[in-house]
Amino acid sequence: MFRFFTAAACAAVLVPAALVPAAQAEEFSWAVTTDPQTMDPHAVNSTPVLGFLNNVYEGLVRRGKDMSIEPALATSWEPIGTGEGWRFHLREGVTFQDGSAFTADDVIFSYQRASSPEADTASWFAPVSEILQVDDYTVDVLTHSPNPIFPDSIANWMIMDSGWAEANAAARPDKESGNHATLHTNGTGAFRMTTREPGLRTVLEPFEGWWGEAEHNITRAEMTPIQNPATALAALLSGDVDMINPVPIQDVQRLQGNPDVKVVQGIEARVIMLGFPHEADALKFSAETEGNPFADVRVRKAVAHAINVPAILRTIMRGNAEPVNQLVSGAMRGYSDALEDAPAYDPEVAKALLSEAGYPDGFSFGFKCPNNRYLNDEAVCQAVTAMLAQVGLTATLDAMPVQNYWPELRADNYDMYLLGWSPGTFDAEHPIRFLGATPNEEKKLGSWNFGGYSNARVDELLPQIQSEIDEPTRQGMLDEVAQTLQDETAYVPLYVQPLVWGTGSNVTLTQRPDNFFILRWVSVN
Amino acid sequence: MLAYIIRRVAQSALVLLIVGLVAFAMFRFVGDPIDNMLGQERTADDIERLREQLGLDQRFVVQYYRFLENAVQGNFGVSYRQGRPVIDILMERAPATLELAAVSGILAVLFGIALGVFTAIRRKGIAANIIMSVSLIGVSLPTFLIGILLIYLFSVELGWLPSFGRGDVVDLGAWTTGFLTASGLKALILPSITLGLYQMTLIMRLVRSEMLEVLRQDYIRFARARGLRNRAVHFRHALKNTMVPVITVIGLQVGAIIAFAIITETVFQWPGVGLLFINAIQFVDIPVMAAYLMLISVMFVGINLIVDILYFFIDPRLRVDRKGGH
Repeated sequence: MFRFFTAAACAAVLVPAALVPAAQAEEFSWAVTTDPQTMDPHAVNSTPVLGFLNNVYEGLVRRGKDMSIEPALATSWEPIGTGEGWRFHLREGVTFQDGSAFTADDVIFSYQRASSPEADTASWFAPVSEILQVDDYTVDVLTHSPNPIFPDSIANWMIMDSGWAEANAAARPDKESGNHATLHTNGTGAFRMTTREPGLRTVLEPFEGWWGEAEHNITRAEMTPIQNPATALAALLSGDVDMINPVPIQDVQRLQGNPDVKVVQGIEARVIMLGFPHEADALKFSAETEGNPFADVRVRKAVAHAINVPAILRTIMRGNAEPVNQLVSGAMRGYSDALEDAPAYDPEVAKALLSEAGYPDGFSFGFKCPNNRYLNDEAVCQAVTAMLAQVGLTATLDAMPVQNYWPELRADNYDMYLLGWSPGTFDAEHPIRFLGATPNEEKKLGSWNFGGYSNARVDELLPQIQSEIDEPTRQGMLDEVAQTLQDETAYVPLYVQPLVWGTGSNVTLTQRPDNFFILRWVSVN
Repeated sequence: MLAYIIRRVAQSALVLLIVGLVAFAMFRFVGDPIDNMLGQERTADDIERLREQLGLDQRFVVQYYRFLENAVQGNFGVSYRQGRPVIDILMERAPATLELAAVSGILAVLFGIALGVFTAIRRKGIAANIIMSVSLIGVSLPTFLIGILLIYLFSVELGWLPSFGRGDVVDLGAWTTGFLTASGLKALILPSITLGLYQMTLIMRLVRSEMLEVLRQDYIRFARARGLRNRAVHFRHALKNTMVPVITVIGLQVGAIIAFAIITETVFQWPGVGLLFINAIQFVDIPVMAAYLMLISVMFVGINLIVDILYFFIDPRLRVDRKGGH
């Protein structure tokens, strides 16, 4: 039973340590906090999984360094007729990493696989009625209604080889008990996975048969999960890894003074905001207050005026984040430039609004907050609590791990809560669908709108936004929704979360706001 | 003696059942695994469906019963996070923890006994006093702090040793070992010191005080009167008689070393079962947590049983007592 390794095999393990430094110069290793839970691109729709697999698998389209959509497995695409769908022309001569050819069959198969009930990515295909094969290198995607952003919404839809998946009994994803595709990959991407040890290490090597031209100079890349931030930092400082994500905010300044490492900073797509119980009849955690003060827009506005966002960013985020006035950051498509700035910090205005609403002495309530989900989330909530206290709003802060947090929000156990939202499609329509629309289980709308915010005009505009082809008209509707959400203070958007990566001084890379680490843009000098 | 062992085994089984019950009662408070398993675009229906599929809508007693039913058949379920059988994952991770625990344990016992004897014999010497003072660090500093300090000194500042991980390992089929490669051995040094330091100082202090006690006994005085050499007096007669409490402590500490490896493994990103458990808690991976807790309690109970049996062989008085006296 024991497969004892021969002396030669042992020697092979020892050899890499003895290699000349020149050969190691292009080996790259990086540390992440969360190991991707699966290698199946359709089983889990999360940043660690999709970000990593973007190096191995490819979609019809992909996002460039500036997040713009560019050709990948499709060389071009155009709308069919007057919005019946989209026609994609596929790239010829592409092979999968096991050598089989890429054709329209694989696209059809990947559509069936990614939109199956077993998949976690099915919602991407909700607008799709059918995908038809025109010929070996052309497919038509038919949509229920005109869908201008469909090509934008499928950058993470990765194409899997139909033959490989079927031969390995992985024709459908299996989230619960896993299958061949959970641990193995066969993409068309620039890198192929040579070793997968969950929670330990995952090794990538360049795919010789890749259709594109390599920009990187990496011969081997190893990803290691390191959960403890101090250990990750030590690994970077000692040169054991070439890159870590994230760098703890409080260590940024210290790293910037170190010539051996670089700090790469940017703005993530994630907007941090406060949410309210719009629908509740009464507060859950208030001894004296009757009714639900947060149902009154003046009270919500008072909250917005009471919070000094610049001070939070200066102290807790150490200047690494940007304030925001809407539910998406400026880097997203459909961002509303027309919208005025977020309510300015002004405790006097806040107090006046509270008096006007009938709460001159404020009131007490419960504030729920996660303590391990967003960067420094608990510290931000403590600051918010202190600032609200100055206008008479006495919040009882209850911070908890995220695995306890979502069930609490789903059970409506809050009077105010903190939420971060990163739009998967990088379009302003996304948060409207999940946070702005009236919750509707059947239509899959408002599924993260815990407070039950509801506005008929927003509900009316959402389907129009989803199907409007004309860009200025669409933007006009997005502007109107952004204006409505701000006027009604449906949420209080606070800031856009920063991205802080640390690398060795000899590494150059590109950081994208979606927090995906794209290996083919890395070079080690 | 057989009746004694049977009674102890029955007690142990009861302890295990109760540990499992308490564990399952507490899983609800660790959080909800559903949100981690479904993406951003999940609906309330998806949540309910998965909850039902995993049996999480059942009461914890029912969940526990199902777990036991499968466990006696050797099936510990499938990890929520990795989608692979828990037993495979545990077998994959166990060698890392056991090797680390073995090295730390051996270091702790060897250095603990040696230094304990030394500080007892030379209890007025300068060296002994320095060792005693320094050993206070071992018992008073928290493990993660010692680990981080060692990493900063030996990895970041001096660059001698790796800051994390297990180095290259050799796959022997059912076991992976770090003992056969240079990087594997180097990677063992800092974590095993971190993990074993507390146990070493504990054993050292225990051996020292027991030894001082024994050295005052009459039979030691007689041994000296017989003209035996110091070495024979100290090691043949004195040390042997200090061993009963020391073995008890070592036995209990073997369990502690494996169980407390969680912290050391987290600091050094050591790919053992402790790190697996920490990840499982963060992900609310109930099958992994349940299997790990049962494994650890089986181990503790087993070790206690073995220690009890060992007494019989080391201390003849116990054997006599059990047979009904003189």
